[in-house]
Amino acid sequence: METIINQIFAGASLASILLMVALGLAIIYGAMGVINLAHGEFVMLGAYVTWALQSFLGMGLLAALPIVFVTIAAIGWGVERSIVQRLYRRPLDTILATWGIGIVLQQLVRMGIGPESRFIAGPGILSGNTSFGNVVLSNYRIFVLVFAIGVFVATWALLAKTEFGRKLRAVIQNREISECYGIRAEKVYALTFAYGAGLAGLAGALISPLVNTTPSMGTYLVVDAFLVVVVGGVGSIFGTAVASGIVGETTAFFSMLLNDTVGRIGVLVAIIFFIRFRPQGLLPQIVRR
Amino acid sequence: MNRNNTSDYLGHLVFVLAILLGVPAALGFDGFELNTFARYLSLAIVAAALALSWGTAGILNLGQAATFGIGAYVMAMHLKLVASAGNPDGLPDFMGWNNVTSLPWFWQPFQSLGATLALGLALPALMAWAMGIFMFRARITGVFVAIITLAFLVALQLWFIEEQRFTGGQNGLTGLAPLDLFGWQVDTYSLGFYYLVAGCLIAALALGTLILRSKVGLVLRAIREDSQRVRYFGYDVAGYETFVFSTSAAIAGWAGMLYALVLEFASPTYIGVAFSLAIVIWVAVGGRESLVGAAVGAILVNLAEGRLSDLFVESWLLILGVGFILFVLFLPRGLYGLLRQGFDRLARLRMRAAGRDVKPQESAR
Repeated sequence: METIINQIFAGASLASILLMVALGLAIIYGAMGVINLAHGEFVMLGAYVTWALQSFLGMGLLAALPIVFVTIAAIGWGVERSIVQRLYRRPLDTILATWGIGIVLQQLVRMGIGPESRFIAGPGILSGNTSFGNVVLSNYRIFVLVFAIGVFVATWALLAKTEFGRKLRAVIQNREISECYGIRAEKVYALTFAYGAGLAGLAGALISPLVNTTPSMGTYLVVDAFLVVVVGGVGSIFGTAVASGIVGETTAFFSMLLNDTVGRIGVLVAIIFFIRFRPQGLLPQIVRR
Repeated sequence: MNRNNTSDYLGHLVFVLAILLGVPAALGFDGFELNTFARYLSLAIVAAALALSWGTAGILNLGQAATFGIGAYVMAMHLKLVASAGNPDGLPDFMGWNNVTSLPWFWQPFQSLGATLALGLALPALMAWAMGIFMFRARITGVFVAIITLAFLVALQLWFIEEQRFTGGQNGLTGLAPLDLFGWQVDTYSLGFYYLVAGCLIAALALGTLILRSKVGLVLRAIREDSQRVRYFGYDVAGYETFVFSTSAAIAGWAGMLYALVLEFASPTYIGVAFSLAIVIWVAVGGRESLVGAAVGAILVNLAEGRLSDLFVESWLLILGVGFILFVLFLPRGLYGLLRQGFDRLARLRMRAAGRDVKPQESAR
């Protein structure tokens, strides 16, 4: 019984990390059809900014979060203005250009900071474990889970309840007509891209105590996150949340039954089959074409 | 159409002459340099294979490295068995370390060179055929093809690393014997080996160009532009797509076999995401519409990497990344597109000089 609860929690923890990484990607992909392969590098930069704040300014991880968000959002804004905005008419080419951006960011970090893995301490108040009977859960992982849910709710509110969200939804539905109503579509796109990048930065900061922080940590994260976005359904953040839950729990379940690698292979194969039979995803957005 | 063909054929001729005569002469017939260039040529083959499916039919295969890697492993398995002939039961050393006591059945066919060469083409082609049926029958296109092939690539690499007993795991297959090609002991640092690879490249390009120039090529280009309309005309779109996907895979497997020969080992990095996207970069630089363009792209990028990474050890990847972004932004048709534009402009000027009124011709996208 304890093993099963522990595995469910491990799956939920994995799902919360996936959700954090995938949410920004889902917004960018859903809003602009841009497949941002540099997203993993935004995560990596988030982790490194946290590391820099911690080792040079002695700032704790929690205090660093807002700074990380703003910094990476600014970098994302710059990337959108300089490169991505020129490619909205060529969606497949965004895969190529953003991969190039990823290479550049990775190499800049490797040259500036060094290729070795960095250590980032988790917040002191969240060290230790909470036990329920025989089940022992890490406090920090519980925090990441709650935080991810919080970010998800905030993002939903941003899209559904604010004026910016209304403008973004209008631009997604029909860019030309919303421009006729005076919405500056390019500004909306740039801010959306920046927000997505900022979320990636937050994800990087949060996972930095749990994984190895290296310049190439983003490459596999982005593949996983992208699969989650597609499984969830393009343009649906609820779909992304459900898909992260399913993928996280399935990975944990397979890993328990078999081993980690075989578990990952199993999930990948399952995703391939899923996309084949349901390319619109779990919760597709209903759009008029 | 005819005008285009003339300049294309001229380009092909220049390329073939450069590969066969120019390069060996420029390298001074130096064995080490020839070996390095033979490596570029084998990578040019896999770039041409990607251009065949991506440039022609618009199938962006982010998992091209999977078929390439299988070709490389097939060749390496044969050479490993030859090298292990002296061991008890002919068992490769790493299997012994992993407590495998007898040669598994799927290693048996690679005892024979003929079977190895055939399987190096057939295995990737079969795999791609199955994937093609799986994807294209369901009318999966564009981004979704890219995602499925990418996910497949990651899964395949994990599996190769996991099955260490049979594949050598993270180390791959090393300590290979030299190839005995029907009585010819292949020295990979010789002019003869260079011509073997160059001949394979030219043959692969000729095969691909033949397909492109045929009616099949025309239908494939039509599918790239508007698959729905082609379907309405009664063509079996999925069938054509599967055909070009498998042909591209077979050519990639061929390239992989040569690559394993050049480097004298096979490693799971050949099936990696980074390598697979590198192939996409070469093709985008050279020009996805032209097989020769893609091959030139692969050669140039790798040549630049070989020369520049000595000078700028640290910043080479940075230069590559920035250069690639600039290509995607400003030269989406690659070097081939640039040349094509130049030729078209030249031809137009000449015609105008001849006093004929011509409408500017929209070149194929």
